[in-house]
Amino acid sequence: MFERPPGLIPVSPLGMQVENTLFMLAIIVYLLATISYLVNLSGKKEWGPFASTLLKVAFLVHTAFIVTRTINVQRPPFVGHYEFGNLFIWATALVYIWSEWRLKDKYFAVGAFLTPLAMLYFAYLTVIPSIIPAVYISRSHRPLPPVLQSDWLTIHVFTSVFGYAGFTLAFAAALMWFLKEKVSDRSLLGKTLPQVKLLDEYMYRASAFGFLFQTVMIISGAIWADISWGRYWGWDPKEMWSLITWFVFAVYLHARFTRGWTGMRTVALVAVGWFAMLFTWVGVAWLLSGIHSFG
Amino acid sequence: MVKEVVDNPVEQQIAPESPVKQILGFLSSMQLGIILLLLLSVITLFATFRPMQLAIEYVYNSWWFLGIMAFAGLNLFLCTVERCGPLYRQALRPKKTMSADAIKKMQINTAIKLTGEPLVKAENAFKRAGLRTVVTATPEGPVLFGEKGKFGYFGSIVTHFSLLLILLAAAYGSLTGFEDTNGGYAGSNFFVPEGRFRVDIADVRMVQEENPVIRPRVYTDMTITRDGRTIAQDTLSINYPIRFEGTTIYHTTFHYLPEITLKDTVTGETEANKFMMGNKINLDDQGTHIQLMEFFPNFSMGRDGRPFSVNYLPERPVTAGILVRDGEREASVFLQLDQPEVIETAAGDVEVLLTGFDVASVYSISKNLGRPYLFIGSVLMTLGLYMSFFLFPSRFWAVYDEGKRTLLIGGRGFRNRIGTEQTLEKIEEEIKTREEK
Ligand code: HEM
Repeated sequence: MFERPPGLIPVSPLGMQVENTLFMLAIIVYLLATISYLVNLSGKKEWGPFASTLLKVAFLVHTAFIVTRTINVQRPPFVGHYEFGNLFIWATALVYIWSEWRLKDKYFAVGAFLTPLAMLYFAYLTVIPSIIPAVYISRSHRPLPPVLQSDWLTIHVFTSVFGYAGFTLAFAAALMWFLKEKVSDRSLLGKTLPQVKLLDEYMYRASAFGFLFQTVMIISGAIWADISWGRYWGWDPKEMWSLITWFVFAVYLHARFTRGWTGMRTVALVAVGWFAMLFTWVGVAWLLSGIHSFG
Repeated sequence: MVKEVVDNPVEQQIAPESPVKQILGFLSSMQLGIILLLLLSVITLFATFRPMQLAIEYVYNSWWFLGIMAFAGLNLFLCTVERCGPLYRQALRPKKTMSADAIKKMQINTAIKLTGEPLVKAENAFKRAGLRTVVTATPEGPVLFGEKGKFGYFGSIVTHFSLLLILLAAAYGSLTGFEDTNGGYAGSNFFVPEGRFRVDIADVRMVQEENPVIRPRVYTDMTITRDGRTIAQDTLSINYPIRFEGTTIYHTTFHYLPEITLKDTVTGETEANKFMMGNKINLDDQGTHIQLMEFFPNFSMGRDGRPFSVNYLPERPVTAGILVRDGEREASVFLQLDQPEVIETAAGDVEVLLTGFDVASVYSISKNLGRPYLFIGSVLMTLGLYMSFFLFPSRFWAVYDEGKRTLLIGGRGFRNRIGTEQTLEKIEEEIKTREEK
């Protein structure tokens, strides 16, 4: 019925500028943190605390970006890939910073794997759309249609970003596990990477954390769907892919208990779970269609 | 299965188990559960690449898919029942004594040289680390035992039970419920045969959001009656359904209903009616009609000649249709408010006039008696997963070694090595600060 794009929320030029500047700044500091974590991994131990500080600064700048975006759109910023992606990266950084604080500096090595993943997600929001024309990430300030104005939706999105954050951390640990197994203990990487036993535990804890939040995400999504559409489960591709992700991590969490399902197999399951999670977010939107494609 | 080292080696089984036991063992095994979960993942993965309706019809609602789910349910049920006893013993009957040798063999252990009354210091440190403690006297000397996170052992049982509840509630809900769609406008009513109730729509109102390009919220005042008795009465709108007797009525969407008045230019007779998009407005008895196509609350025409609505504000309502004569589409017709179009018909000229518009709301109506159980199941599942993954059961033992000069502390964590190590670090720190004092 409409010819023009739907009306956007008017944002002052200053608001726009602050938002875009903070976004760019956050990416730059995250990138510096990534580089520093990698230098730390290469054996220069003194770079670990420095990287950790940079990551915290990046996180603060990113928080400022999210606050600005919230003010600009006059609601929690969780609609569309740009807003969701930013929340998701923000949550990933937060969970990692928290785990670093809990587990102390032994685990700085994880940062060298986690921050590149965060950069990959940033790439999806920034450079990938210009490489793949079919992918379009809108940054426009869209108001919420009535169906999205629901507290359950807010819970749904906030739990999902923490679920995804946990799975990203688990995947980072899985990559490390894989490398640790492949390289010799006397090589540089072999020396800086934590023991496989610890990585295995890290992967397990991060998966369990993600799994709990993914569960609440599915539940709150179902409650919201029930209230909005009159059914709690619609079998649409996005729902099914979040269920597939959940199944894969459930298999992993169980497999860890069972003899014969250790080591490489569990690492592979976490990797598959991470791919399923990424497909739920990215693949479903561009390759499959359903009710969830609100852009 | 459980990570703790078993204290007594399992006795050698001499006679083979009976076939019934073997079958039950297989049906209740976690391996089977893992296989079923993987199978469900692979099937759904392929199904999502099919068109949704086909996937629902041929996969998700097929007997074999439901069969696999039921089988997984049975597997889960048997596995949970079987695990109850051992978990109960493991969680609530801890071994409160431990020999020095056993402690030395634990993966997490430490030896601390201490003065004074080490066990008393250790007991205080255990308590500070959040452990519940007991001291048991044994011939080899006193044994300090401390544990925390006991409920964590039951996490998997609560989770599995909740999943069973959700599966059963979903099955119960879909076997006893129904789903239906209906709609209406102010003053209309409809009957829902499956629920044996009647819905009377008193009013349907539109309230525009602040931003005029956002769909307005539509509110319906409705009364639900059975045999003349009122069973529910409320206002519903998007995200605010009406609920009664396990039945829910939701607002799903709305349509504009243009009111169109036909005036016979010869007799001066008029007739006003409300129409839905897709309806025909019959102009004579020879089949001449206008087929209504679209309604624009705020009409405008693009440069390319395509009509559109600027926003949802009803500032320039226009309804568009196609004039059909002798079975042929003759022309597009745009009816503006109070501006008559005169159309030639077999019965003479007819004046067609948009005299106003109304809104019709569309509702989905569903009955699902499983809903409260689904909700309870969901809460329990969250709780169960929290218990499984965030309450870290751990147990510690401390005994004297080499007379009374060294204290041996050993710990075991259930699913959580890092956390158990951290607890031990905390205990050590506590003991050291006490020692320095
Ligand atoms: C057919 C399916 C399943 C079977 C046969 C099964 C079986 C088992 C078994 C035997 C355990 C070990 C119990 C223990 O001693 O602690 C376990 C643990 C657990 N299960 Fe399942 N399970 C199934 C499905 C699920 C699903 C779908 C979930 C997810 C909601 C789940 C959640 C858990 C949790 C949270 C634990 C504790 C895990 C841990 O401590 O690492 N299970 N399951």
